[in-house]
Amino acid sequence: MQRHPSFRARKAVPGKELSTQIEARIQQLWSRFPEGRAGKALCLPVLFLAQEQFGHVDAEVVDIVAKRLGLVPAHVTGVATFYFMLNQTRPGRFHLQICTNIGCQLVGAYDVFDRCKQRLGISNKGTTADGNITLTEVECLAACGYGPVAQIAERERPEIPLYFENLDNKRIDAILDALAEGRVPTELGN
Amino acid sequence: MGLFDVKIISEHFEVPDAKNLDYYEKKGGYRSARKACSMAPESIAAEVTASNLRGRGGAGFPTAMKWSFVPKDADTVYLVVNADESEPGTFKDRHILYWNPHSMIEGVIIAAVALKVRNAYIYIRGEMAREYKVLQAAIDQAYAKGYLGERIFGTGVSVDLTVYRGLGAYICGEETALLSSLEGGRGWPRLKPPFPAVKGLWGKPTIVNNVETLANLPWIIEHGGKAFADLGTGRSGGLRLVSVCGHVNKPGVYELPLTVTGRELVDEVCGGVKGGRKVKGIIPGGVSMPVLAPDELDVPFEFDALQKDERIKEVEVRPGQKFDLGGNRTLRTMAGSGGVVVMDDTTDMTQMAWRIVHFFAEESCGQCTPCREGTGWLAQVAHRIAFDHGRAGDVDLLASIADGIAGNTICALGDAAAWPTLAFLTKYRDEFEAKVRGAHRPPTSNWGAA
Repeated sequence: MQRHPSFRARKAVPGKELSTQIEARIQQLWSRFPEGRAGKALCLPVLFLAQEQFGHVDAEVVDIVAKRLGLVPAHVTGVATFYFMLNQTRPGRFHLQICTNIGCQLVGAYDVFDRCKQRLGISNKGTTADGNITLTEVECLAACGYGPVAQIAERERPEIPLYFENLDNKRIDAILDALAEGRVPTELGN
Repeated sequence: MGLFDVKIISEHFEVPDAKNLDYYEKKGGYRSARKACSMAPESIAAEVTASNLRGRGGAGFPTAMKWSFVPKDADTVYLVVNADESEPGTFKDRHILYWNPHSMIEGVIIAAVALKVRNAYIYIRGEMAREYKVLQAAIDQAYAKGYLGERIFGTGVSVDLTVYRGLGAYICGEETALLSSLEGGRGWPRLKPPFPAVKGLWGKPTIVNNVETLANLPWIIEHGGKAFADLGTGRSGGLRLVSVCGHVNKPGVYELPLTVTGRELVDEVCGGVKGGRKVKGIIPGGVSMPVLAPDELDVPFEFDALQKDERIKEVEVRPGQKFDLGGNRTLRTMAGSGGVVVMDDTTDMTQMAWRIVHFFAEESCGQCTPCREGTGWLAQVAHRIAFDHGRAGDVDLLASIADGIAGNTICALGDAAAWPTLAFLTKYRDEFEAKVRGAHRPPTSNWGAA
């Protein structure tokens, strides 16, 4: 979706721009797509990288991405609201995602999920009052043989997310303890 | 060497070094790609035809036939690898991407030569961050060696391979939704025809192949299509990666002959059901596929057998009325994505059925009304039944909603929600009716409640 010549971009948001790393990535990927198609094709990758930079994708970030790629903000908003991995509001520092789909459900995922809700005092998609942990029930993570499985993402740290497999009350307690201390227990992850 | 010992893709699974190009090449890797670069595209296609290779993503469509749909005079053809594995119960492609990424990359090169592709893309599931790193590193190694990019292996062939990460939408595993997403939009499926092989990415002919499908190509080129066909049975060549989860002692990914039955898979390959209990049901190919009852487990987990073997009961809309798959066909089950879910005799089938339709309600893309609304209704009614507040008539209501969705949507997600629902009702109807009869208020659980 190329911008119509009559389209006027909203005013740039002062003080917020895409990082030099994202710029470099755009340069690197641009030529991999056919002439005239790259701007739109890069919508997903750039939104994802922008989320790593800013923590979430709100209207402001949508505008920045749309402007950079020459797309109408309505298209970028449509994409940003379609995909589960793009957060429209700021999540907690740690995003704890528990798979409860069938493979995990059969081996006790709801016990693990209930344990998290109970210990954190929040419900699905809630964030703890201190902003430390957001808890989300997610769909299949393609690790069904090793369930129950959780994934933890740390805000603005693209090298984490990690999978945590074969969870039980003991292992999820250890994970929750570590998150409360402000660290992802990578030693327990895969 | 026993039949279970033959391996094509999984031989070096669990070997940490197998991700590295040097290791892969030492074991004979990239010989086939090199050979393919000097082969005529038609000869490669002929080997694939002879191999009886069928798509490993879910539909089991013959790979060579899919390739043959590309118009001969096409100026630009794209190849897209579908690595958006997200069918619940399936985790085999993730193993290939992590343990043996070069087998798939080599398959991409071979397919690119056969289809005269200059630009190939891999659409990988966004959640697979670990696999993405491994895959990108493997591709970088291949570029550094001159096995990807301009004039690969010093021949006249040039192939670029770009990784594109999804962002968490199950629907993007559907090939036309994948293309919409790869073009930078919402993952909305498109009507077929035109099929992607004729009009795909950016309107150009595009072949979308699954990771496992492509990872089989190096072996086919090395040993010949016929040898691959001989490993298989009937119209299905080769071996198959099967991922097994649920109540078995040894869940995991196994590369097996297509003749293996459900019972052999559980008892011999996976060490039996946990705690010595009995099987109550097995889903043979990801949760979209109809469940098998304990008396249906002696059928081989092979594409044609699971569809046609009369030992498997036909799915019904209500007792005595067979579900109409269209074209006078009835539905038994299908081999799907190779994701096997084993449920023991302590499993509450009403809760399984609810969790499956709840998943499809979450993942419906929202384009077609029967699916967008219908999957939500399925989830609501199934939840009522499963958690003890079902109402009289709910079992028939569930079947009628499912029957109303099936066949009435752009893509197969609607069918994927309807088929398992009807299959659970066909095979465990008594359990659903007993649940409704014994219902009481308030509900016993709030799992999944909005």
